[in-house]
Amino acid sequence: MATSPSHSSPESAIIEQVITEFFAKSLHIILESRSPYVSSRNYSVDQFMSSPSSSCSSSSSMPRDKWFNLALRDCPAALENFDIWRKSNLDPLVIDIVLIRRPLVPDVARPLGGCLLRNFSGNRDLALEPKSWKIVERWIVQYERHKSSSSKNHKEIRKCGTKNNGGSSCSSETAFYKKTYERYIILFRSLYVLIRLLPMYKLFRELNSSGQICPLSLSHRISSSIQPFTQEDEAKMNQFTFVPIDTPRGRLSLSVQYLRTLEDIRSEPSAPLSLQFILDYVGSPTTDPFRRLKSLPSARSSPPLVSFTRQHSWSNDHGALASVSHCPSVACSEARGIRCNPSLCLPPLTHHNDHSPPVISESQNAAVTHKNNMSFDEFWPSPFSPTSSPSSPAHLPGQRSPNALQSGSSQIDIAKACPNTASQTQAYSSEGKQQIKMDTLRCGNYRTGLTLVKHHRGFPSGKDDTEKLAELPSSSTQRPRSKSSSGLSLSDKFDDCGFACPFADYKDVTGSCNRRSPDAVIGAVVRMLTTAAPLRQGLSDLCRPSQVFMDESLNPCVQHDQDNTEQSECRASTSEILASVLLKSKTAAEGLEELRRYKEMKESILKRGASWSSDVDSGPKVCRQ
Amino acid sequence: MNCETCQLKELVVEPPEIREVLRSILHTILFHRALGLVRPKDVECELFDIIYVQCEDHELEKKIDEKINQFIGWVEKHPNRKSQVCISFYEVKNKHATWFGNKIERFYWEQWYINLHIVSPKPHGKSHNTKAHVVTGENAFEESNSRCAALGSSLREVLLQIINFVNEKKDHIPPLQNSEIVSFPYEISTPSSSDSSFGWHADVLKRMLQTGHPSMLS
Repeated sequence: MATSPSHSSPESAIIEQVITEFFAKSLHIILESRSPYVSSRNYSVDQFMSSPSSSCSSSSSMPRDKWFNLALRDCPAALENFDIWRKSNLDPLVIDIVLIRRPLVPDVARPLGGCLLRNFSGNRDLALEPKSWKIVERWIVQYERHKSSSSKNHKEIRKCGTKNNGGSSCSSETAFYKKTYERYIILFRSLYVLIRLLPMYKLFRELNSSGQICPLSLSHRISSSIQPFTQEDEAKMNQFTFVPIDTPRGRLSLSVQYLRTLEDIRSEPSAPLSLQFILDYVGSPTTDPFRRLKSLPSARSSPPLVSFTRQHSWSNDHGALASVSHCPSVACSEARGIRCNPSLCLPPLTHHNDHSPPVISESQNAAVTHKNNMSFDEFWPSPFSPTSSPSSPAHLPGQRSPNALQSGSSQIDIAKACPNTASQTQAYSSEGKQQIKMDTLRCGNYRTGLTLVKHHRGFPSGKDDTEKLAELPSSSTQRPRSKSSSGLSLSDKFDDCGFACPFADYKDVTGSCNRRSPDAVIGAVVRMLTTAAPLRQGLSDLCRPSQVFMDESLNPCVQHDQDNTEQSECRASTSEILASVLLKSKTAAEGLEELRRYKEMKESILKRGASWSSDVDSGPKVCRQ
Repeated sequence: MNCETCQLKELVVEPPEIREVLRSILHTILFHRALGLVRPKDVECELFDIIYVQCEDHELEKKIDEKINQFIGWVEKHPNRKSQVCISFYEVKNKHATWFGNKIERFYWEQWYINLHIVSPKPHGKSHNTKAHVVTGENAFEESNSRCAALGSSLREVLLQIINFVNEKKDHIPPLQNSEIVSFPYEISTPSSSDSSFGWHADVLKRMLQTGHPSMLS
């Protein structure tokens, strides 16, 4: 700090330095607890131990910590270049803490946080309307030089010398400086405690807390001139003055004027940000996927809509595929302290095709594309759906659906918030159901998923479809079910090539079934086979292989082209074998007996024919008569 | 050397509040007397709307907590009493050698008396006013809240009283002799369970006689 040029009798360097540091320390303590830049939340031991590299530009903070034996947090911005802009120790240091009431309209240019202090160092004035700000505290640090050099301090110096070292002037001065320095230390301890007991500190902490949205913000103004308060303002203020500390040629004083109460200023209620909304938005990969969110009402029968935002916050895997922050205003407004209406925050509806995923691995792509297909069109009316998430998980309906596992409760919750969407999703055709079932199970067509979206216009409502899915007769269909219950991802399931092939012709087979339940088909076949009497009792055992073939041939899910040809060949050969076996088993007597029976049958037929012909012949005769 | 004494304003506390009240007061006093290089730490009271400051020193914290536990143990055996906790700062000096040998003596230069009136928690359904009337559970809850707020306000006054005392009384503080955080030796006296109330006061009286008459302050 530069001393005054008009300094007629310059103080010793050490006193000058102590006074300079007194000003700096006072400013540091005050701004530390009034400026969010040096919020206690940012404080760490490391910072304290290795603070030479801190943000102080003019001097490292470590030596400043040692001054007055009080280690403080990082230097406030105002302390930077403090030594440069401060002209003289004789000028008072006036620190006004200003409470600013901001309009609730968000100001984009304003830094995040909404309550950041601005440094109005120097003589710059607040560029605000007069009614929008108020000085709530005024701290004045002042050094007053004694007019007469033969002050009482000299007596005290002598006194110190007499007490301690027998009266030599050098030692007495040292003792005096030590004692004075001790007083500075104690004064700064008191200042540090007092500043936390004043009403402003509570507000400062509240404004610093991220969960509060408040139209108020704090600022400060540093000047070297004292602008008097109006009488009205002064009447609302209290004053605390620390006992001045004498120096050899003057004295240092510190005082504060503060508003007794801030209740009238804070009367306008702040709008606390809904923590519930944050909870929903900020999920965790460790969160139990089935956990119902506390913040949103439950909707037992609501259709499973997709929890886009939550899914985003969980995973980067899919979130990176499209707009990662689909609602940037949500995050920003949280930080800025803007009241956030979820419906307003979300972007306008756009078609999902706009979000084409980048190149990803095949299995992932399959899953993701499938998700895209299933999520966007069906939720089109929902403000959550369009751009919200290509990573929307719930394309398989029902609770057993593997991807539905990931979004579980939030789907339902958001559906509750969007009743229109819910009702629309319930209106779907049975064709739609079957189409979805088919598409869901088809593993070979994921890459063409976008074209299948049209079929998914109506999305199944969950439980019903899940049950039908479970009823599929194929053993292959049961495989993903068991996997899904074990929590494997959809792409993992479809990596199984043994799973993929049987479903290649599933569409055709189901088409031939023509709305007949596969279960019914199987039931009918089984019933027929088990209840039908064998053509020949003795050959029942030999006929079983053909029954087995029939069972499998009727099973649509395991049938494919190659199998068909093999089956037909196999079936033909089996018939020949059966015929030969049948012939070999007949004896000659049985053959004669059979021949005899045929002969008898022939004779009886001929008899009947003869009698019928004689009747006919006699008829015309009568007529003629 | 004079022994400056500060009698802090009496606080009416219930047993669950003792710990927080004593912590805030003792740490505030010690923060003002720990003149070594300290790193202050903000502590937010759980029961009261108050933030106090303490030195980040585990030994100091441990010692204070031990003494508070000791005091709470005494309060459990002696409920509904007015009691004092005293924190004293002293210097250790060698007394002149006598034919009994060298003697180390403590010279107390500052004493703080924390005055507490311990009351039992009020049973629900009765107010503490002389007008005995039945109040509902809701009223009892409100009453408890307002009592706690009043105690918080009183505690704030006590902390300001400490600042005022520290601010005004500086001459009696001995010069710094070391660079430790807590620069001066100190002791925290609580009425121990073995002592009677009279015995504890006798101990204080004895100490006063040793160190001379303290100048009593408001």
